[in-house]
Amino acid sequence: MNLYKLAFKNIRRKKLRSALTALGIIIGAATIVILLGIGAGATSEVQEQMNQYMYDVVITPTSSSGNLLMEPQTVSKIKNMSYLYDFREVTVFSQDINNTKVNFEGVNDWKEIKDINGTTGVVINKDTSDKLGLHIGDKITVNDQQLTITGISKPEQSVYVYLDQKIAENVTGNKVSAIYARSHDNPNSTVDEVQKQVNDVSVVTKSDKVADLQETNNQAMLFIGIIAGIALVVGVISVVNTMMMSVMERTKELGVLKAIGFTNWELKGSILFESGLIGFLGSILGVILGIVGIIVFANMLHFTDYIPQMMPLWLIGGVIIGSTLLCLLAGLYPAISASRLNVVEALRNE
Amino acid sequence: MNNNVLEFENVSKTYKMGDETIKALDGLNVTIKRGSFKAVMGPSGSGKSTFLHVAGILDMPTKGIIKINGKETQKLSSKEQAKLRRNEIGFIFQRFNLMSQLTVLENVMLPMIEEDTNKALELLNKMGLSSKADKYPGHLSGGEQQRVAIARALINDPSIILADEPTGELDTKNANSIMQILKDLNQKDGVSIVVVTHNQASADYADEILHMSDGNFVDNAN
Repeated sequence: MNLYKLAFKNIRRKKLRSALTALGIIIGAATIVILLGIGAGATSEVQEQMNQYMYDVVITPTSSSGNLLMEPQTVSKIKNMSYLYDFREVTVFSQDINNTKVNFEGVNDWKEIKDINGTTGVVINKDTSDKLGLHIGDKITVNDQQLTITGISKPEQSVYVYLDQKIAENVTGNKVSAIYARSHDNPNSTVDEVQKQVNDVSVVTKSDKVADLQETNNQAMLFIGIIAGIALVVGVISVVNTMMMSVMERTKELGVLKAIGFTNWELKGSILFESGLIGFLGSILGVILGIVGIIVFANMLHFTDYIPQMMPLWLIGGVIIGSTLLCLLAGLYPAISASRLNVVEALRNE
Repeated sequence: MNNNVLEFENVSKTYKMGDETIKALDGLNVTIKRGSFKAVMGPSGSGKSTFLHVAGILDMPTKGIIKINGKETQKLSSKEQAKLRRNEIGFIFQRFNLMSQLTVLENVMLPMIEEDTNKALELLNKMGLSSKADKYPGHLSGGEQQRVAIARALINDPSIILADEPTGELDTKNANSIMQILKDLNQKDGVSIVVVTHNQASADYADEILHMSDGNFVDNAN
């Protein structure tokens, strides 16, 4: 009979303790899978957002101007600049309907609005429909203009009405919140030029915007990584503790194994196998729990579109391999202690 | 083949206990011939257990030479010593020292290099324990547990059995039964045996009794 079978038996013999030790790893692994999974989902969304910035510059009203919308004159002045071309305007504003603050957003590409029931044009999300009791065909008054609801999109936990950008401009008197444009010149010199010629606007280049998003995302991932790492380290410490306890409790047993001819390496291997096995089984269960957690969170946060991106293979494989290796490492000191036991003293131990 | 299974040449073993140096073995010379059955007796602290530990390579002497089947044990690496313990020596302990998480059969097979269930079952049968193969040690009486320990000691066909107070935890009936098994193993199968015991009745099963005192044999007999 080899010592690896004995290691299995040892885990089974102390079922509760093995389970509690594995629980540390399960929680650690599940936390990593959930947090990094959410992080990976967020990265995918950021990536998607970044892909939307196919324009060289974004022009918005300055917050100091107090206006959230640019006047039509400002818009036409910008659109007449010779070094800018390929414009896309977005109008975003809010208005109270039946004492509820409703956000309106102009839409250029209706593919960005997911799961529309009905047709595009004037689309309310499910939250708006539920909160205001509105349905397709109902009318809403926006800036004294009556609009007929053409569709309902999926819930987002905030009250949104999506208008075709042309309708949004129409109801706001051709005002826009942001203009995206391409530049014939270097985007940085375009920024200076636009700011020189147009008052009260802020101009950023695509690279500024992308860098901002990436910076925010990187910071969030770092924070998530640290928290998840702490969770796993706590689990690994519990493995060290359990294996040390196990070696202390089994001093006599280890002495007997040495006496009947097992080598120091075999004893080390047995302890390492035991700790590695706890790590491996714990991480498998942790990953399963993590996947369940991701599905639950994704449903709660209406993030289900990103579920595949939230469970990348590198994350699942990395957590299983990483937890097993960490637990092997955790078993190293107890294993060395076991192999250095003095047989005669170990046999006297009760 | 060397006719001497175990040889001690001027073997001493000293321990430090605080400032005091204790001589557990003091220039011990003894030869155990193949097929012999020796009992070692003596008062507590006479060096009986130390003799058995250094003979079984569980401990190293401070001075002198120990040979098992002609091999000088101090010259072997830790791995080679473990191999020698596994192949050439069978240990029997006072408290049986079976693994409680393993069945009787698994305990017997534990030291096996190549797993051979039939051989283990044959040994259990010889010990009158074939019906207990799937039981755990906790379900066995003291005498039965010691018989499992004997089967475990014999599983790799060792050159010598070293038994440390094998009847110390048993009642007279079971003690006699265990000593009879050892006697039969010696007489029928030619297994060399050294038993350390306090019990005269147990020692009487051996073909020679060696008396120890202050780390040496009183009669220094071979």
